Amino acid sequence: MDVLSGLIHGFSVAVAPANLMWCFVGCFLGTVVGIMPGLGPAATIAMLLPLTFKMDPTSAIIMLAGIYYGAKYGGSTTSILLNVPGESASVVTCLDGYQMARKGRAGAALGIAAIASFIAGTVGVIALMLISPPLAKVALSFSSPEYFALMALGLAMVVLLAGKSLVKALLAMLVGLWIASIGTDLFTATSRFTFGHSELLDGVDFVIVAIGVFAVGEVLGNMEQREAPQVLPVPKGLRNLLPTVEELKACRFAFLNGSIVGFLIGVLPGAGSTIASFISYGIEKAVSKHPEKFGTGVPEGVAAPEGANNSETGGALVPMLTLGIPGSSTTAILLAALILWGLKPGPLMIQDNPNLFWGLVASMYVGNVMLLVLNIPLIPLFAQILRLPVELLYPIIFGISMVGVYSVSGSLFDVWMLSAFGLLGYLMRKLDYPSAPLILGLVLGDSMERALRQSLMMSQGELGILVSRPISAVMLGLAVLILLLPLFRRANAWRVRALEENG
Amino acid sequence: MTRTLVAALLGAALLTPAAPVLAQFKPTKPIEIIVHTGPGGGADVLARFIAQAVEKEKLASVRMQVNNKSGGGGLTAMNYVVEKKGDAHAIAIFTGNWLTNPLTQAEAKVTIKDMTPVVRLVLEPAVVVVKADAPYKTLRDFIDAAKKQPGQLKQSGGSITSRDNVIRQLMMKQTGANWAFISFPGGGERIAALLGGHVNMMVIEPQEAGEHIRAGNMRVLAQIAEKPLAAFPKVPTLKEAGVDIPYVPQVRGVVAPPGIPQDAVAYYEDLFARLSKTATWRKYLEDQQFEDGFQRSAELSQFFDQFTNRMREILKDAGAKVVR
Amino acid sequence: MKSVANGDVVSGGVLAGLGVFVVLQASRWDYLAPDGPGPGFFPLWYGLVLIALSLVLMIGALRRRPADSGHAVHWNEVRRALLAWAALTVAIGFLNVLGFVVSFALLTFFIVSIMYRRPLGFGLAAGLASAAAFYLVFPLALNVALPTGLFGF
Repeated sequence: MDVLSGLIHGFSVAVAPANLMWCFVGCFLGTVVGIMPGLGPAATIAMLLPLTFKMDPTSAIIMLAGIYYGAKYGGSTTSILLNVPGESASVVTCLDGYQMARKGRAGAALGIAAIASFIAGTVGVIALMLISPPLAKVALSFSSPEYFALMALGLAMVVLLAGKSLVKALLAMLVGLWIASIGTDLFTATSRFTFGHSELLDGVDFVIVAIGVFAVGEVLGNMEQREAPQVLPVPKGLRNLLPTVEELKACRFAFLNGSIVGFLIGVLPGAGSTIASFISYGIEKAVSKHPEKFGTGVPEGVAAPEGANNSETGGALVPMLTLGIPGSSTTAILLAALILWGLKPGPLMIQDNPNLFWGLVASMYVGNVMLLVLNIPLIPLFAQILRLPVELLYPIIFGISMVGVYSVSGSLFDVWMLSAFGLLGYLMRKLDYPSAPLILGLVLGDSMERALRQSLMMSQGELGILVSRPISAVMLGLAVLILLLPLFRRANAWRVRALEENG
Repeated sequence: MTRTLVAALLGAALLTPAAPVLAQFKPTKPIEIIVHTGPGGGADVLARFIAQAVEKEKLASVRMQVNNKSGGGGLTAMNYVVEKKGDAHAIAIFTGNWLTNPLTQAEAKVTIKDMTPVVRLVLEPAVVVVKADAPYKTLRDFIDAAKKQPGQLKQSGGSITSRDNVIRQLMMKQTGANWAFISFPGGGERIAALLGGHVNMMVIEPQEAGEHIRAGNMRVLAQIAEKPLAAFPKVPTLKEAGVDIPYVPQVRGVVAPPGIPQDAVAYYEDLFARLSKTATWRKYLEDQQFEDGFQRSAELSQFFDQFTNRMREILKDAGAKVVR
Repeated sequence: MKSVANGDVVSGGVLAGLGVFVVLQASRWDYLAPDGPGPGFFPLWYGLVLIALSLVLMIGALRRRPADSGHAVHWNEVRRALLAWAALTVAIGFLNVLGFVVSFALLTFFIVSIMYRRPLGFGLAAGLASAAAFYLVFPLALNVALPTGLFGF
């Protein structure tokens, strides 16, 4: 079935009243789940599975997919308003989104997040529809050396995220790498840095560190002053609740950047939306005319990562639908769902079930529109949260943090770690250590080490494998260039000064 | 008078052995099924299916509820089970991990021997696959190629303690060949590594491989099962393919907390025995391509010992650090 | 009023210590396993870089110290923040004993009335209202279990 006829057929399936309803249910649930820190789309989908047995598989997948990409929309809300990352990929949104809220532009930030998500989500669906099969084949040629290079590129982004002190940024990143290595080593079943606690055998969950360092650390910092004025000015009037035309124009490239980067990285099994958001943010900062403003609340700093983590869902569905290979825990559960309903996900699934595939794709267009319509009017509502006096808001943030962390695996140990990371976040603020590199190190450290060891196992110890393959060589080259940027800049500044001095 | 009394006492004494039969365990509140994965994980899906099937077939008078205790590499759930000592309304799904993890992890405070074995339910078979355009048409071809280039060929799989590696160790020991093992944390990545041509072979569950085989991307060299699988009639078993190794299955079953009364164990044994005879269960096994490995608690206890001892040897050969 | 440069020295020292710890641990694991790099490989390297960069930081801070007044640290502010952190930690300690609802209500009361000096009644009301809201949203509406304690909720 070729694309156009498939799409038309798909729309006829997607706009059937029952499917529209299920799409809405999924999107709504997804948004709620995304807003709540800790509770993720994967767990929600798994819990709803028994209910789907009685449903038509097409309707069921439409709903579950709605939860999946809907959660990405919701994740930005608490990131922007409270500096609490709603889910792992939303961490990057905290960087500029929360700063925009502090400047009174919370509504604009939420609006930009929604619009970026819509554009990127739609681009992701279009790409899914048009270029899945060839892209899937290219994705297969990606293996450990390329993943290593990609992670190295991601870590090189730390240079771009550094701010004033590169040394402190690198130190933060190294601490992140250390935290990432806590747990059981996959290759040798050795426990590392568990201090005898069995709870640490699976490592430290990213959510705990992110919520602790960002949310709790921020609140502790704010609580230093008893008579603080309203820390987050409440935007008044419709003008201030939505992005201005200038802001939207500034985000033009970010929308594109987020869409493409997110989708491409999503296609790679194993690379997740968090790294997509970081790389997209890094690229945006690298090409910006005012890179030093990133981190203080620039709209592109919200648009790029938010777009990336949305189009990543489209990307992640590519290997799942075309090859039957899950790229992340959420797609793994969706795959399990397909199997439970009696379908056979694999290379032949689209051929055998055109209704399901095209119905799903069409419903994703519809879903993205629904989510945009759902989220924009909610912005003024959410912004009202900022009206709360700080003495009430801060305990609530503590509460949400505790619940979010506890809901990950029902373990009090995790909540104790939240407290520890909260203290760490506060100390980092006081001592001027940037927190984004810590998160970056944590997210990438694990994958990067694994990819390196896998690569060396594949090549029997030849480091050359990392540069003999074209894709990994290019990415590693880029990473090295980015790492050398500060030296270039300093050399350039010195040269300029020398020129000026010589008249 | 005294004679009546003696007769009455004798009668009571004769009737007493029958007492345990009369005092049968019956659950009075919902039964908790503990699993070590989060929602959607293998053990969780099985537990939910069991709860659903038991309700559908009306095999129990109470509901069964799944309790996810993920984390700690499975140890959190195991610790929780042992903490529930004496509670006859809690059972847990164990998998092969419960038996092997404590062998390599010093952090483990309990082992499977601290729990009450109930039943073994399923064995998961596996198949040895290569990419469809690989030069190996039979398992022999692969082994011979591996012998010619020791350490050069690669297999993708899970961790060093996983079943994939266990099979590899046994095969290498038996044939004298040697090939590398590359761990990937997720099934998706392992398959992608094979299909992308970055590794040469993998051991995979038939259900995961099914569609790739049907699409012509993968070729099956051998099957690893106790009885030949219905879905692969033409594929030789390992033994038929010339590699005679002991069958080390991937298992799933039920255990209970320590210190529960014997009649509670009997109740659960019975419950699962009846479940495994139902059509619902048979269909489930067929769909998932599992093998029926039903064993009652006495046999299961022996199986635990055998399996653990064998795994200890295999892990030592594989170079993992064995701590107990 | 000490300056940030001091903070750099101290934190640099702590991080250098962490680096040493990591390197020592890494040396106990295999640097190279039979098939490839072992568990000690990565930690050894990032441990070494951690030590090196911490020393760079410390030396830079020590050299700057006389000239740089940095920005002063207001210790009473830090004390407030640490008090808030202590309150949070104590509340976490009570989670299993008193349950989330009660612990959270107490934490809110403490922050509102003690730390922000609002009227006691207001603090009490705020604590009860927030705790009730959490109870309604999480365990009831979303089916997310919260720690329960002596009171059963």
